[in-house]
Amino acid sequence: MTKYGRTLEIGPTDLTSEKRTPRKPLNMIPDEARASFVPYAPYTFNALPAEADMTRLAPGRPQADGEPIKITGRITDQYGRPIRRSLIEVWNANKYGRYTHIEDFSGLKLDPNFLGIGRMLTDDDGNYEFWTIRPGEYLAFPDISRWRPKHIHFSIRGGASRLITQMYFKDDPHNDRDPMRILMGDNFDANIGKEYEIEGDDFDCGYQFDIVIGGKNPTFFEDL
Amino acid sequence: MTHSDKKINSLTVTNEDTLGPYYPISLCDQDNMDMTKIRSGVVNEAQGKKIIIKGCVKDINGNHAHGCLLEFWQPNANGVYRTPITEASDKIDPWFTGYTRHRTSDGNFKLTTIKPGVDKDQESPRAPCITLTIFSDGITRVVTQLFFEGEPTNETDPLLLSLPKEMRERLMMKALTRTDDGTVVYNVEVRMAGDNETPFFDDLLS
Repeated sequence: MTKYGRTLEIGPTDLTSEKRTPRKPLNMIPDEARASFVPYAPYTFNALPAEADMTRLAPGRPQADGEPIKITGRITDQYGRPIRRSLIEVWNANKYGRYTHIEDFSGLKLDPNFLGIGRMLTDDDGNYEFWTIRPGEYLAFPDISRWRPKHIHFSIRGGASRLITQMYFKDDPHNDRDPMRILMGDNFDANIGKEYEIEGDDFDCGYQFDIVIGGKNPTFFEDL
Repeated sequence: MTHSDKKINSLTVTNEDTLGPYYPISLCDQDNMDMTKIRSGVVNEAQGKKIIIKGCVKDINGNHAHGCLLEFWQPNANGVYRTPITEASDKIDPWFTGYTRHRTSDGNFKLTTIKPGVDKDQESPRAPCITLTIFSDGITRVVTQLFFEGEPTNETDPLLLSLPKEMRERLMMKALTRTDDGTVVYNVEVRMAGDNETPFFDDLLS
């Protein structure tokens, strides 16, 4: 007998989501096959300190346009145990809402001093930090006037399972119409960076974004 | 392998989100679509029968799903997955990891690997299969497993048996051609949505 799990929801006003979201409920995995769904990535990750500073292309280069911000956080499992030495990959649009990605055809302004790609590892207590430019919002679907609010993409890797997520900014007027934000419902707060003040003039402010990885998949992280 | 089911005091889980269309391609520079060679410039190769899998990921309209990040995970020629738990086992092939990932611009992929074996020591032996995870724009992560058409062990595989018969067919990779050196080429089409939708699995609730 087939047992069913979640039915994935389609993001409202998201054409790609309409085209790619399975319509049938997901099938539950029988116990005998459960372990085979937990990949183990056998990598020893590394990242250079400069890769955590996205505000400039390299140490000593000019600062990119826009407001420099600091992002800090801790990665844990549901039980508060730190996810150690995992690789965090981050990417975000520049001040003008443009990615350096070769498939971003928006035509928005590029910033010659901004790459928008960073990497760093969590420390022994699961903490991470990096510096970037506050991303711009951008008009994702001009025909229906739908904007993407400011956001920073996160990919967490290491051992088993990966979390792909995004950090949002509180009070962005475009948050309310964002398809994924709508699907997150009341739990949207979990994906908002908590703003805090930073002394000095180097940064506009800081954001604390603690990440909790759920489900059975983070298990092998513990062995790293 | 699993956490205790005690949910007391557990933290609110961060929501998964879509990959978006702009996952940095350069972050995949080290990724390798030939799993028979885990290190470049070294003569050693994975044990087992070398195969090629050609696949494509399509959307509800049958158009190629561009900009997907794909992850592949499989056991070795002895049917054993390589993890920290199995690492010391005699059945581990030190020249095979079973893990790779690939960012596809147009939805197509070509994976060179070895055919997974069957571990007869298992209580309910799994048929040879490859776990595929898809990250993409418009949707959070989805996972499935791809099987080899005509394998006798398909008839007793616990995952396949958990599906209605007509759905099992959609997870089959078909051997249609061979390369000049005799390597069998399997073909598969993954449909993310619609009439011929590929069965996907819930690895969050399962």
